[in-house]
Amino acid sequence: MNAPFFKFDMFSFDISLVVAFIIGIGFGFALERGGFGSARILASQFYFTDMRVLKVMFSAIVTAMLGVFFFVAFGWLDLSLVYYTDTNMIPQVVGGLILGVGFVVGGYCPGTSCVAAVTGRIDGALYLIGVMAGIFIFGELFPLIENFYSSTDMGRVFLPDYLGMSYGMVVLLVVLMAVGAFAAAEWGERKMAAKKSGVVK
Amino acid sequence: MKLLNFILGLDVKIKLAAIAIFLGLTAFIISDPFDNAHAKINVKELALIVQNEVDHVNVDELADWIIKSKTDYRLVDIRTEKEFNEYNIPGSENIPITSLFDGQLARNEKIILYSEGGIHSAQAWFLLKAKDFRNVYMLRGGLEEWKDKILFPKLGVNASDDENARFEIASAISRYFGGTPQIVSGNEITVSVEIPKVAPKIQTPTGSAAGTAKKKKREGC
Repeated sequence: MNAPFFKFDMFSFDISLVVAFIIGIGFGFALERGGFGSARILASQFYFTDMRVLKVMFSAIVTAMLGVFFFVAFGWLDLSLVYYTDTNMIPQVVGGLILGVGFVVGGYCPGTSCVAAVTGRIDGALYLIGVMAGIFIFGELFPLIENFYSSTDMGRVFLPDYLGMSYGMVVLLVVLMAVGAFAAAEWGERKMAAKKSGVVK
Repeated sequence: MKLLNFILGLDVKIKLAAIAIFLGLTAFIISDPFDNAHAKINVKELALIVQNEVDHVNVDELADWIIKSKTDYRLVDIRTEKEFNEYNIPGSENIPITSLFDGQLARNEKIILYSEGGIHSAQAWFLLKAKDFRNVYMLRGGLEEWKDKILFPKLGVNASDDENARFEIASAISRYFGGTPQIVSGNEITVSVEIPKVAPKIQTPTGSAAGTAKKKKREGC
């Protein structure tokens, strides 16, 4: 048995939708339990008063990265069959900035807005409508921005190849970066809390 | 004992961070998770496949697929580039046996291997199977049989009607691939065998490494 199961025809396309549904539910549940259904918690990340988003994201990245690395090393996962988007540097930087602005203004990112909406938050539902409208407008305008959309195409790029390092080296660096970010976040939170209590006094 | 107590007494997040750093260091030592040079094989399973001969494709089957423009497989010529350029079966791509694991083939593809005879492709088949490629087949008899049966089918002078009828079909296939059907008289073999120039112009939708493969799975988010 070897992953990715779908690519090895372990189940059909129809079943894959069921699998995706189950994984999606799990993902949403984890987001909700992490507190990501609340725009207040999400937005406070940008004011550095609550670093929960950073911690959850980095935990997820490090867990997934270590899992993939060792699964590949053990021969359980064929990474060449896993789908990756190509890198289009400039359009993706611009897209990231737009998403970031939307995140700060709306208080959600697309995934967390779904979580907020299904837990009954009105702002989440409105955000979701906005996401749909954005998708529609993007689709309608696509012919106009198609050239830009596919510009600076770098193909399928991986950090180790791009930086000329080994995969293990990049894994270690990301782990250290995450641990460092965690420590800094905890330190920052204590500072902020002290400042706040000082103001109250 | 003291150390153990100290470790157990640590905060959960410190423990998790320590585990992550430990795994990160291990990854650093492993350095490259893709080991393309070694394999572990299930000899029993492979022996069974060999015995049941489920790993072969006959030349006439292959000719039929090419004529019908089937695209659910990749036809791989494992000979050297020079040999490939002299002649190759239409729709094939050249991946010399030493480059099989350079990432051009995916484990979920249907792969048909051929070489001059049958030996090299059988060896390549074994290597790919050992590396967990699922659908690998080899062309029975290799290019020699392809030339013999498809490009230059032969008919004896005193052939029966039945043989004649079959020869008609074989001739049509042979001409399709740019070959010449031969009529052999007695023991004399005075046939002029001319190998068609590189890949006769036949429209086969196969081509680049990425394009062929089987029906692409839907993917992306």
